[in-house]
Amino acid sequence: MRWATRAGCHVDRAACAWLIHRFIDGGAVFLFVAAPDEVPGDATPFDMPGAPLSHRGGGCSFETFLEHFDLVDPVLTEIAKAVHEADLGDERYDVPEAAGLDVLIRGLSMVRSDREVLELSGPLFDGLYEYRKRATLLGRDPS
Amino acid sequence: MSESGMWVLLEYRLPREPSTPRIALWRKLRGLGVAQLLDGLVGLPLDSRNQERLEWIAQEVVEAGGTAGVWFARPGSAGQERALAARMAEGVAQEYVSVIAAAHEADAELPAVRARTLRRLRRQLGRIRQRDYFPPPEREQAQRAVEALAAALEPSS
Repeated sequence: MRWATRAGCHVDRAACAWLIHRFIDGGAVFLFVAAPDEVPGDATPFDMPGAPLSHRGGGCSFETFLEHFDLVDPVLTEIAKAVHEADLGDERYDVPEAAGLDVLIRGLSMVRSDREVLELSGPLFDGLYEYRKRATLLGRDPS
Repeated sequence: MSESGMWVLLEYRLPREPSTPRIALWRKLRGLGVAQLLDGLVGLPLDSRNQERLEWIAQEVVEAGGTAGVWFARPGSAGQERALAARMAEGVAQEYVSVIAAAHEADAELPAVRARTLRRLRRQLGRIRQRDYFPPPEREQAQRAVEALAAALEPSS
């Protein structure tokens, strides 16, 4: 399937692309467009004003994805809190690593193309998932 | 700098009732540190994050039954931009002053309480910095006051 989002990927779009690739559509192909009206008819838009898979009810697009695709996974819920705070910073959740996540991906987007940002941030989210999974099993932060 | 920079503007109109979305909108805009240009017109210096944030807010206004649009604009003169920047800087300066006062008051607190105050003030500083587009001198002073609190805590911790 083809998925389209706005060019200039930051944390929410990078996290959504990782989620799509790993949990929704293993063969996902991503397109980057300047505006919602440039999305081709066969592509699903996300994280763009007007698209259903976007910010909803004060939440970020990653949170909308979890709800829309019924992804019930406590580890993804934890990652969603980090993405929410990194993207919106409204202190709905207490996630200290969110600030670092925002800076790292924002910095990456300054030196790499959108495609590379998604490729490079994928393993970062894999690692975050593994860390949160272990933390959930252990009941404390793993070392 | 003699030339003025680009700004991103949000024009919005929300029904007076219900008041919940109006209050939520007002809180959000305040958190972003927008310059209120007119009733229903706010602006921020243009960057990708500010543009995105105002676009999301515009969408929320429409979902709440209002109308909204995002515009790009350049102040007509550098002087006009400086006046706007000064007004925004004055707003955050007051917030920094309250942090400085809280840091000084914490001198009288017990170390355990002071440690909590330190964490709270660091977070508060972080929040203010996010909406501080034209840093006033109070920013440095507030940072120094909070770090002095941290330094004073070190020997006992």
